[in-house]
Amino acid sequence: MKPIFLAQLAKDRRNPFLIILLVVVSIVATVLFTSGTQAPMTIQIYSEADQAEAIEDKWADLLSEGTDMTFEVTEADQVKENIKQGQSEVAVKLLEDDYKLVTASNTPTIYYVEQHVRAVFEREARIEAAVSDADQQGEMREAIQTELNDPLMTMDVQSTSGEPLTNYDMGIQLMFAFTLLVAMFIIGFRVNNVLKDKVYHIWNRVILSPVSKTKMYAGYLLYAFTIGFVQTAVVLVIFNYVLDYDLGERFGLVLLVLAVFTFSMVSVAMLFTGFVKGPEQFYALYPSIIPLIPLISGAYMMPGTISNPALVFIGDLFPLSHAMDALVDLAIYDATFQEIVQPIMLMILISVISMGIGINLVERRSS
Amino acid sequence: MLETVQLSKQFKGKTVVDEVDLYLDQGESVGLLGPNGAGKSTTISMISSLLKPTSGDVTLNQQSIIKNPAELRAVLGVVPQDIALYQELSAYENLKFFGRIYGVPKQQLESRIQETLEIVGIKERQQGLIKTFSGGMKRRVNIATALLHNPKILILDEPTVGIDPQSRHYILEMVRQLNQQGTTVLYTSHYMGEVEQLCDRVYIMDHGQVIAKGTKAELLSILSNEDTINVQLDRIDDEFLSSARAIDGVRKVEVSGNSIHIIAKQERQIVSQLVKISDQFDVQIKNFQMETPSLENVFLHLTGRTLRD
Repeated sequence: MKPIFLAQLAKDRRNPFLIILLVVVSIVATVLFTSGTQAPMTIQIYSEADQAEAIEDKWADLLSEGTDMTFEVTEADQVKENIKQGQSEVAVKLLEDDYKLVTASNTPTIYYVEQHVRAVFEREARIEAAVSDADQQGEMREAIQTELNDPLMTMDVQSTSGEPLTNYDMGIQLMFAFTLLVAMFIIGFRVNNVLKDKVYHIWNRVILSPVSKTKMYAGYLLYAFTIGFVQTAVVLVIFNYVLDYDLGERFGLVLLVLAVFTFSMVSVAMLFTGFVKGPEQFYALYPSIIPLIPLISGAYMMPGTISNPALVFIGDLFPLSHAMDALVDLAIYDATFQEIVQPIMLMILISVISMGIGINLVERRSS
Repeated sequence: MLETVQLSKQFKGKTVVDEVDLYLDQGESVGLLGPNGAGKSTTISMISSLLKPTSGDVTLNQQSIIKNPAELRAVLGVVPQDIALYQELSAYENLKFFGRIYGVPKQQLESRIQETLEIVGIKERQQGLIKTFSGGMKRRVNIATALLHNPKILILDEPTVGIDPQSRHYILEMVRQLNQQGTTVLYTSHYMGEVEQLCDRVYIMDHGQVIAKGTKAELLSILSNEDTINVQLDRIDDEFLSSARAIDGVRKVEVSGNSIHIIAKQERQIVSQLVKISDQFDVQIKNFQMETPSLENVFLHLTGRTLRD
C-alpha cells in the first residue's frame, strides 16, 4: 500500500501545478462570487412612470433606510447601458407600488438585493393599506411610523435550540460549495489513476508482486482521500484564519465532515470508474457530470430553492448535499455533533454502497 | 521446477491456449516461439499467475500455484511485452517503486537499484524521466524492474519488440549473462534468431498449441531429410509457381517479393527441374542458394507459414 501511495505522491510532486491551480481557483472563485454579497453596494434605481421624479424620490429614501446598500437615482438609458456593459449587476425599475429587477446575470448579489427590496415594498404596502381608510392620512402614517420605530411589543425570534436566530450567510454557503466542487474534481482525477495504471500495464505488474489486491486498492484510494482532504482543509483554513470567514466555533467538526465527504466522494469516483471503459472516457464524462451535482443539490442557492422532489432525490444520492447541510449547520448555526450525525451517516452509507459496487465493477471488467 | 500440465484458456468460447504442456528446469533457458496470436502471451500470463486457466495446472516444484501463487511470485520476475512504467517518473524512481513493491529490504534497496541499473546499462541516465527515453532504454528499464528482487525465474515476453539493433544486442547479451549466472529463463519471441541464440530448448506454438518442442538440434532434425532452396527470379509468374509446386519432392513453395522459398525432399533433381520450367515460362533465375535449415524453416515446415505471417 505504502509504495503505491508514495508513487502517486511522486507523480504529483513532479507536476503539482494542477492541484495548486485548482486550490487557487476555488479560493478566487469564492472571493469573487461572495464578496459582492457582503460589501456595501450602490444600486441604481429609475422610473419610467408618469410621476417618475416623485416615485424615485420616495423609494430612494425608503430603500436606503437601514441597509449598507445605497440606492441611487439614475437615468433609465444610463441604467440599461450599465447593465448591458456589465458595469452594474442589478438595477431596480420603480413602478408606483411595485418594482422590477433589471439584470443580465444570476449571481447571489441579485438574490441579496431582491430580498431587501421586496421587504421594503411589502412593509410600505402594509402601511399604505392601513392609512388608506384613515381620515387624517398624514397623521396616521406618522403615528404608524412612530410605532414602528418604538413598538409596544418586540419579537425575539429564537431557534429551536433556544439560541438567537442567526442571519443566513450566503457567502459561507457558496464558499463551501466552490471548495467541495474543486475537491470533487481533484478526488476523481486521483481515483482515475487506478484506470490509468491498468491501461499502462502497471496494475498487472503490481499484481505479480507480493502486494495483495486489497492493499493495491487501499494505496490508490488512500492517496485520493489524502489529496482531497488536504486540499479542502487547506482552503478552509485559509478562509477561516486568513480571510476571516466565520466558520463557526467548531472547526474540528468542520474538518470531520470534510473527511467523511472526501471518503464518500472517493467511493463515488470509484463507482464512476466502474462504469467507464477507460481513463480517457473518465476524463470526458466526469468533468461533464460533476458540475451538475452542486446545481441539482442546490449548493449555489438559498436552502429550499430546489423543491422538485425528483431533483431533491437525485441530489440526495450524492454526498455533496449532505456535506453542505452539515457544514452550513456548523458554520452558521454552530451545530453540535449530534445535530450533524444524520448527514454524516448518510455520507458513510453512500460511501459503503458506492465503494462496494465500484470495486466489483472494476474487477469484473478486468476479468 | 516450473511446469504446466494440460494448460488451456478459453475466451468467450474461443480456445486461445489448448492443452499446453511445458516445463523449465532450474538454470535452463527455454524459448517459446510462435507468430503473433499464437497464444504465447496468454500462456505466459497463466504461468505467471496473472490469468487463471480454464483448465489444467501450473506447478512450481510439484506444488500447484493456481490457488496459492504467493510462493511463485516471490521467485518470479516478469518482463511484460508492454512498457509497464510510470512515464512521468525517472528510471530511479520507477526502480524504487518496484523494489518497494517486491519487498526488497530498505537497507538493500539502494544498492540493488544501482546494481540493476548497472546490469541494464543506464546508470548514467537514472535520473532521466522515462518519457524522455528511447524505446530501447525504456525496454531496459522495463527489464530492470523485474530484476530488483533477484528472481530465480525470469519470464520475458517479447522484450525486444520495436527497438534498435544495438539495444536488442545489449538485451540479448544481458539475458544470456543472467542465465549463465543461474537464473532460469523463459523467453518468448517471434524472432527466431533470438531464440536460437539464447535458448537451450524451444517450444513452438501455433494456434494455441505446442506443435513442436525440443533442443535446437532435435527440432532441426525434423528437416534432416529436406533441402531448403532460395531462388531469386526476375519476376513472379503464376504458371511457373504452379509448375514448381508440382515438381516431384517439393513440399512447400513460399513467395517473398521476387524470390521463392522451396522446401523439398533431399536427393531429388529439384534444381534441374527448376531450370527447365524457368526456360519453359521465360522466367530468369537471377540467384540460387541452398540454405542450412534453421528454426524458421522448421516453423515453415510445421505450419506452412513464416513467423511473421
